[in-house]
Amino acid sequence: MHKLHIIAMAAVAALLDLAFFLAAPGAAQAETGFLETLHRQTTLTSTVPDNGDQNPYAVVVAPVSAGKIHKDDVLVDNFNDKNNLQGLGTSIVLVDPATKAMRLFAIIPRHLAQCPGGVGLTTAMTMLKSGWVIVGSLPSEDGTTATKGQGCLIVLDSQGKVANVLTSPNVNGPWGNMAVVDNDGRATLFLSNTGFGVGAPKDNAPVLNKATVLRIELEIAQGKPPTISSETVIGDGFGEQADKGVFVIGPTGLALGKNGTLYVSDALGNRIAAVPDAATRKDSAGTGRDVTKDGLLKRPLAMTIAPNGHLLVTNGLNGQIVEVDPDSGQQIYARWVDPNRAQTPPGSGDLFGIAITPAGDGFYFVEDEVNTLVLAR
Amino acid sequence: MQSLLRISPERMRRNHFLRRLGKLGALAMSLGLATSGIAPARGQEASPPPQSADAQEPNFFTGLLSPSRTNLLGDMGGLRTALGKYGLTLTLLDLNEAFGNASGGIKQSANYNGYTVMGLALDTQKGFGWDGGTANISAFQIRGRNLSSTNLLNLQTYSGIAADPTTRLWEVWYQQSFLNGKMDVKVGQQSLDNEFIVSQGSSLFINTMMGWPMVPSADLYAGGPAYPLSSLGVRLRANPVGPLTLLAGVFQDNPPGGPFDDDSQLRGSSAWGGNFLHVGSTGALLIAEAQYAVNQPSAGDIDDGQHAAGLPGTYKIGAWFDTAPFPSPRFDATGLSLADPTSSGLAQMEDTNFSLYAVADQMIWRPSADGAQALGLFTRIMAAPDDRNAIGFSVNGGATLKAPFEGRDNDTFGAGFGVARVSSYASALAQDAVYFTGAPTPIPSVETFVELTYQCQITPWWQLQPDFQYVFRPGGGIPNPDNPTLRIGDESIFGLRSSITF
Repeated sequence: MHKLHIIAMAAVAALLDLAFFLAAPGAAQAETGFLETLHRQTTLTSTVPDNGDQNPYAVVVAPVSAGKIHKDDVLVDNFNDKNNLQGLGTSIVLVDPATKAMRLFAIIPRHLAQCPGGVGLTTAMTMLKSGWVIVGSLPSEDGTTATKGQGCLIVLDSQGKVANVLTSPNVNGPWGNMAVVDNDGRATLFLSNTGFGVGAPKDNAPVLNKATVLRIELEIAQGKPPTISSETVIGDGFGEQADKGVFVIGPTGLALGKNGTLYVSDALGNRIAAVPDAATRKDSAGTGRDVTKDGLLKRPLAMTIAPNGHLLVTNGLNGQIVEVDPDSGQQIYARWVDPNRAQTPPGSGDLFGIAITPAGDGFYFVEDEVNTLVLAR
Repeated sequence: MQSLLRISPERMRRNHFLRRLGKLGALAMSLGLATSGIAPARGQEASPPPQSADAQEPNFFTGLLSPSRTNLLGDMGGLRTALGKYGLTLTLLDLNEAFGNASGGIKQSANYNGYTVMGLALDTQKGFGWDGGTANISAFQIRGRNLSSTNLLNLQTYSGIAADPTTRLWEVWYQQSFLNGKMDVKVGQQSLDNEFIVSQGSSLFINTMMGWPMVPSADLYAGGPAYPLSSLGVRLRANPVGPLTLLAGVFQDNPPGGPFDDDSQLRGSSAWGGNFLHVGSTGALLIAEAQYAVNQPSAGDIDDGQHAAGLPGTYKIGAWFDTAPFPSPRFDATGLSLADPTSSGLAQMEDTNFSLYAVADQMIWRPSADGAQALGLFTRIMAAPDDRNAIGFSVNGGATLKAPFEGRDNDTFGAGFGVARVSSYASALAQDAVYFTGAPTPIPSVETFVELTYQCQITPWWQLQPDFQYVFRPGGGIPNPDNPTLRIGDESIFGLRSSITF
């Protein structure tokens, strides 16, 4: 027994040494990025409301409590209708991350007289601290761009009621996630538009270099819904293309850096572009300056900024989220968040919206193929 | 020959198939109100904007051929949406086939067969807030004539959905996941071919043995708990580390019950899937499988971009063990050949049965890591002891090419083969029969088939699949009933499958 005891002690000591050896390098090394600090993923809930809408796109964390919305609720809109037709989704749901309970925020009428083409809610959504929710529409009548309408921006009050519809010749297919500067009484929206001249989807549909990034200044009078006070096209010439599978491909992710630079995920260019002085410039920066290109990027879509200042961008062609240092342009690495093997490559076409948690310890994202909201932290 | 001939065409197994401009807006535009720098909606803050008066709501035909519409009936007039409120998902799949043999067999003609399966799944989290639970119930209706019964008399039957016509409750189970999805347990009536011995590549093919393979189909009671049958059991699945998945389960081994020579799919209440009390149960079927995925990411994996992604593959090894007694294919209880005129005709019973198997799927070529086009190989190999089984060894394999043509990303071409070796005991019985009768009849040995198939997606909810199979030594080389001195002629089989998701 004594001999066995010594052997057991030696074995335990060896295992502890091994554990220390394995753990020590990690403990000693500084974190190089945000994604490595995440430990687990949790599926919070289905995002399909009672009207059967599918294909969750935008993910927005409520900055305040107002009306139906509780602070830190996650707002998710749906691009597809109950028949899974793209560009016909009209619903926005609220998810309480603490209870995983999903409830309906709004079902917008499919046809609003002031919204050309109807309503098909996109990744362009935000909630202002004044309680207004603004969401983009890139509508279709048959689930393809063959019947695409110009679309609009829809302003909802905090009860989910349509309070205003914003249209403009500059707003055509508002598509990507919005970047926002939200001040009392005023707000600045950054919006990508991918609808200019886009026709029916077909094999080898042409790439049109007509997509834009638009800055919209909003006035928010007390008790009144926001209205547009000015518009400036700060980026143009981005590629856009009708697509059979994903409706339209174009600039999708917008994130505003602390230095006033707007970062744009150029999906067809497979790059991240920088538009300097985005909040103040009076002209277009064209397609911006290359921050990074190709590498781990596989059709970059929605984008946000991590607490460490790095960009987090979802890939359209696999289930990865890529972390990019916007200052150096270095692609730090990518994390597999949706390795669904049912698609090739895994997770292809599954990711879209992304939003950082209020505590900054993770992010929310949607998995289109299963209509769920997931928390990674 | 008795045991061998009981590998009837009715022992079919197959994986379960088992995805406007409004007037006011136009007026505003024409009046130039919606110009840059001017908010066209100013002054409308107090009241919600009106709906378009001539708006048309989507109907059944809206987007019928849209690339994102995955089922023909869409919302089913509101039914799917109504069910969805309670976490329920309704699926309805209809397969229809026309197959005929142009040569070989005992005659040449064509048959129709079809199958409709309906399933209802409950997500308990959405239904009533219970995390990680899934309940499922399914039923099907099988119809038509089975070409392997009427014309071919082959072992590796031509279609995995052809079976004895009936309407039957199929699976009824509840699954609960634990440990953030790292483990789950499934309890209830289950069809094992949905989870065990599954090859991604082979599931493209129509031949039965590309689904639930030859060895379990021929060697287990009633072919085992697989389509079109199921039985009560418990299955545990665990994902201890990223690439490794473990599956293990114990099930009632004989869905319809009854002895080995009287285990028809239509026996008693099994005809409608109601043998819940397991009348005539013969034993327990234990099955375990380890799966290892290569070059396939797991959630949370970090990709530093420095290493080129290898081609993905999945490798599996497994075994099943049945506690029931199984009849010898050759001897009676006294050790005499069953072909001996003095034999009792009652087969010697061996205590248990078992089989070992391996499955491999490996992609070997893709022109782009981001594209759909890919060439993959697969194989499945398995063996069981000859002294208690009619088929001692079977293997199938082949190649699949996804996106074979430009613009056809969702089509797949496949070329495959299958080999079934009649056990030495079953062959010896045939030799014994020759010895005792003096009739020079052929001795069964090995049956081989090749299959060429092309799955063509018309829309996401409708696939058409032309198919060709050629069978060498049908039945392993059994005598032609019309001329017992000759084997059944090699068979060329042509067919078309239509698969519609409603």
